Amino acid sequence: MNPIVKFCGMRSFEDYQKAVSTEASMIGFIFAPSKRQVKAADVSEWTRAKPYKAHQQLVGVFVNESVDKMVQQSIEAGLHIVQCHGSETIEEVTAVKKGTGALVYKTIHHHEGALEEMRQYRDIADGFVVDTKTQDAWGGTGVTFDWQAIPKYTEEANRQNVPCLIAGGVTVDNLAKLQRYRPLGIDVSSGIESDEKKDERKMMAMTKAVNNTYQAPDYLGRFGPFGGKYVPETLMFALEELEKAYESIRHDEEFARQLHKELKEYSGRPTALTHAERLSDHYGGATIYLKREDLNHTGAHKINNALAQGLLAKKMGKTQIIAETGAGQHGVASATVAARFGMSCKVFMGAEDIRRQELNVFRMRLLGAEVIEVHSGGKTLKDATNEAIRHWVANVHDTFYLIGSVVGPHPYPMMVRDFQSIIGEESKKQMNERIGKLPDEIVACVGGGSNAMGMFYPFINDDVKLTGIEAAGKGTETPEHAATLTKGRKGVLHGSLSYLLQDEDGNIIEPYSISAGLDYPGIGPEHAHLRDIGRVKYEAVTDDEAMAALQDLCQFEGILPAIETAHALAYVKQNAQRMSKDQVLLVCLSGRGDKDVHTIQQVLGGDNQ
Amino acid sequence: MNKLTEERFQKKENRFVPYIMSCHPTYEASIEIALTLQEAGVDAIEWGVPFSDPLADGPVIQQAGDRARKAGGSLRKALEGMKEARQQGLQAPVVLFTYVNPVLSVGFEKVIEGMKEAEIDGILIPDLPFEESEELRKLCNEAGISLISLIAPSSSHRMEKISRLGDGFLYYVTSLGVTGTRQSFSDQISHSINELKKTATVPVLAGFGISTRDQVRHFQSIADGVIVGSALVRFIGEREQALLSENESKEALKEIKEFVQELIS
Ligand SMILES: Cc1ncc(COP(=O)(O)O)c(C=O)c1O
Repeated sequence: MNPIVKFCGMRSFEDYQKAVSTEASMIGFIFAPSKRQVKAADVSEWTRAKPYKAHQQLVGVFVNESVDKMVQQSIEAGLHIVQCHGSETIEEVTAVKKGTGALVYKTIHHHEGALEEMRQYRDIADGFVVDTKTQDAWGGTGVTFDWQAIPKYTEEANRQNVPCLIAGGVTVDNLAKLQRYRPLGIDVSSGIESDEKKDERKMMAMTKAVNNTYQAPDYLGRFGPFGGKYVPETLMFALEELEKAYESIRHDEEFARQLHKELKEYSGRPTALTHAERLSDHYGGATIYLKREDLNHTGAHKINNALAQGLLAKKMGKTQIIAETGAGQHGVASATVAARFGMSCKVFMGAEDIRRQELNVFRMRLLGAEVIEVHSGGKTLKDATNEAIRHWVANVHDTFYLIGSVVGPHPYPMMVRDFQSIIGEESKKQMNERIGKLPDEIVACVGGGSNAMGMFYPFINDDVKLTGIEAAGKGTETPEHAATLTKGRKGVLHGSLSYLLQDEDGNIIEPYSISAGLDYPGIGPEHAHLRDIGRVKYEAVTDDEAMAALQDLCQFEGILPAIETAHALAYVKQNAQRMSKDQVLLVCLSGRGDKDVHTIQQVLGGDNQ
Repeated sequence: MNKLTEERFQKKENRFVPYIMSCHPTYEASIEIALTLQEAGVDAIEWGVPFSDPLADGPVIQQAGDRARKAGGSLRKALEGMKEARQQGLQAPVVLFTYVNPVLSVGFEKVIEGMKEAEIDGILIPDLPFEESEELRKLCNEAGISLISLIAPSSSHRMEKISRLGDGFLYYVTSLGVTGTRQSFSDQISHSINELKKTATVPVLAGFGISTRDQVRHFQSIADGVIVGSALVRFIGEREQALLSENESKEALKEIKEFVQELIS
């Protein structure tokens, strides 16, 4: 959902006409003494001369005006919304509402007691505007307040189920920064003016920036229709607590500093960007670059997220970490982080996976984690996740659930994406430094979708083709695959709505892939959304195709990739030759294949010795 | 309007509502068990739908669900089975207990239609919290079906808005964690139930972990009624062989009836 745009302070018929021609959904007039003050009669004349669009609403701003005058002017001007911008009382607001039948918004001036003030207008105000408090003016001064406070205003507004616009010094230049705080709406006046007149170009730039920037999820954790929080009531409290904690560190410089330190000094970031020259020559086409997440501590991108969530857990005062794991990669990352931060760790793992991944189980135990064998359902990742959630429900007070991918209920898909975005951010910087431009296409493998989301997200507003690769197992025409987007139907698993492999009764089907990390019947809700809006293209490759590409990378570049990653490489193998040498194909090399040597040996054993 | 919102259920005291799984251990047997529960004098029945990933359930109900799915159990079968139970004389109010995915898979409208045909009075979806339930709530309202809401000890500030929309009854979850039998309960619970009863406009029933006669009495003295699931489902599971045998099924049903009567006594 894009934020509401309100253009305020129209001083003339010309100003008003310009606003109508934009996509702004609210057009505001100042009725209080100010250089932008207008008369109700003018507004009524202007709207008659140039009707506003069906979705546009007229807003009148008053500062400590009498109820009678507000009512009279509001009716004369034909306002949809009366904005009480001064210190109007609850009684006055209620009276204006009754007298006009219009909606009444209350302006809250940002200060320490502002949130409390906002709560007092619950069930009375139909919306809020949060503006900068200044000594001698009631707003309109072009000064911003501390935007770190926005999330808590938004949260309160959401609780009251009303909109909340952010005002004060918003301009085309600081809009991108403002949007990082995900305001429900913006209210601009001086930021769209030049020489004391409304500037059509600035207005257009602003609505375009708001409407074209990819913004997801919304406050309910929805990516289009996907995502959300489909969990039992017993867990809602824990998710709200987590959401609050996450919002509090999201823009916190101290947290960012600590995390950066861990990523750099412990995990070895930034990871390298490698030009795969011989592989490019061999495939004959695109110039191939590899983002080397395999060079991270513990051998995959999973540690980026585990370190960040681990720090958050510590900050929340939790002493226990729990995690689910399939192949054991995320389990190892979680156990590692728990050891590093001095917390206890339980890893839930299906009995079937424990059997298949003996070595990783040993590794997790070596790191001090308790591996809990899960015997329900098909005894794999899906069931391990169920069990981790069940355990969490019963132990929320001291336990932090460290989810390993962009799946699960809100805020996990968003939070894990943000924590993994370091992959794409570094890549963007490195690409610019090395070749002075962005890649033409980026490819990543998709299990739950965390390495792909982390790689794609920083490029989402850029002109770069994005491709996600799912596991087709033995072929999407057989029952043995994990191609969720290619073959799945909409449904709910592990707390969010996405695409799922399921039977006609809505029971989840066990997926299959040679790579345990892609062997998941669901997919992160944001991928479902990106596929449906056409921003990212998804394809599926088989076990055999992945294994062939894996060998190519070993032989031409001396890099043994994880089998998961090999799925992205298989797409490169098939498509590089369709591109030209001056086109750049960037691959997210999500992890290394040391963990897979045993499987690879079993598959290739015969003909590779 | 449905049998849960009628005066008979709303005004009753010490309500007792058992949970059973449809198609557990078989389609026919679960219908007979439902009729037996009515004979035992229960006030309503929760009719469970088996699902592959029952997040809110402990091992007992998980296994019953796996067993039921092997016997062909599904949401469709649960609706069909209840229709048949009604034809065989089941009068008690019935609440369909299902996870959200089977409902999405069949489609909200179709499920409501099926529930009307089977004269099912309410629906409870544990993984559809308040925030996600708007669409279904509207459809239920139109169809006169009660959408039952869960409230947990940790609901705190959410309690008020959930209880405001309470319909049929409110299901107070008596323990954190999943379904299954419990030895003891937190003392805070009775305080929390009392708080809830102050704002609730419908009865507050307590459930999750209640398994013995003493626990039933205890919670009936605090709440407006109790729900018993795992203890009964386990009792039924233990009699699977008998329920499936022509000679022994009568005796098994009699035992189930006595088990429930003992819990209520
Ligand atoms: C190396 C590697 N790549 C990819 C994945 C798939 O996960 P995601 O899609 O969340 O990146 C895994 C999961 O274990 C992995 O270990």
